[in-house]
Amino acid sequence: MTDPLLEEEVGSEEPRQRFVLDETGFDEVPKKYRRFYRKWGGPTDTLAPNEVLCPVCKVVIRSTRELRVGDRVYCMPCMSRLVVAKSASGLLEAIVNYG
Amino acid sequence: MSDFLSAYSIQNWLESCPQGYLLDTEYGHGIGEKESEAIASNSTLREESIRTTVQLVVGERCALAASSGLVNAAPDYPSKRFLATQTLDEARHVEIFTQRLYDLGVKKSELQSTIDQYANPHLVKFAEVLLEKVDKKDFVAGVVGQNIVLEGLAFSVFEMLHATSAAANPKFAHTLAGTIADERRHVGFGENRIGSLIKEFPEKKPEIERMQKDMTYHMLATFSAAFSGAGAAMNEGRRLAAQAEEAGIPSSEPARWHGANLQTASPEEMEAVLADTVLGEFKTRLSRIGLEYQTPSAP
Repeated sequence: MTDPLLEEEVGSEEPRQRFVLDETGFDEVPKKYRRFYRKWGGPTDTLAPNEVLCPVCKVVIRSTRELRVGDRVYCMPCMSRLVVAKSASGLLEAIVNYG
Repeated sequence: MSDFLSAYSIQNWLESCPQGYLLDTEYGHGIGEKESEAIASNSTLREESIRTTVQLVVGERCALAASSGLVNAAPDYPSKRFLATQTLDEARHVEIFTQRLYDLGVKKSELQSTIDQYANPHLVKFAEVLLEKVDKKDFVAGVVGQNIVLEGLAFSVFEMLHATSAAANPKFAHTLAGTIADERRHVGFGENRIGSLIKEFPEKKPEIERMQKDMTYHMLATFSAAFSGAGAAMNEGRRLAAQAEEAGIPSSEPARWHGANLQTASPEEMEAVLADTVLGEFKTRLSRIGLEYQTPSAP
């Protein structure tokens, strides 16, 4: 399992959109994981439906599947376990799960 | 204990770091890369580069002392193992920034006297506050001071320096890029390990918050001193850039960082954007792990 989406929120009935991930030049994790992360371009960077920003290390986490509220994702560059939530502005955000 | 470290391994560190983003580098930058000609040939810019790099060496020496000291204070082996890799990261940072001083013309025999001459006294105090906790083998306070306050500071400072150097001095920008990648792991360890430990030791909160307040005071005083003396070098850099443009050398896109145009911002504006960014991050990070940010008196 290499995708950072560790566990999908149960009860998601609608099929999830699939994404093909290309390398973006992110080189801070071992090669086979690199396409699952990219550098964040700052507050003006628009995230795709399969992306969420890690609040700990500010790297964008990318999945091959659309992300939804309640999904559990893993940020390899900083080793954080995160849960996808909806921010006040209605966009997806990640909350750290300290375990 | 949180199991976040179970996913971490020395093997992963090897594949990510020495066999990953540090592959084919020397002292953290591309093989054969040199300091920019503007810095090498201009005494004002060279001296300011030495002054800035000395602060990085001082900060990294503190991080090396803290992370190595925390290995023996850590209550579990996964944390000891992580801190062992962090110790090597920090030793590498000390080495690459020291090497930059040599590249800028500092003689090996004058290294310590150069550091003593340019080190900001408030940065030295900042380090002392942290190392006092480490010397007492106070793991929780030490990790907050090292992996959240110091690393959080370093993360933003390195990003700002990287944005400033990306076009003008690729060698230094490449050196910084590797350290930023290292800092991601370090802040990740700080947040994740303390996020669970602070729940176990809530009685430590007041003492840790006092430490954060003291460290923040010295950090802001360091910024104030650094930017109040940087005006001449910033003007000189901009004068040379304008001269190059007049001579027909195309200028690079303006470097922006957190909304500020780094090529036109005044020293006061640069200090404000850096301080606001670091303090904003402190507040958010500390609040996430259950600590309340303490505002220090104005330096």
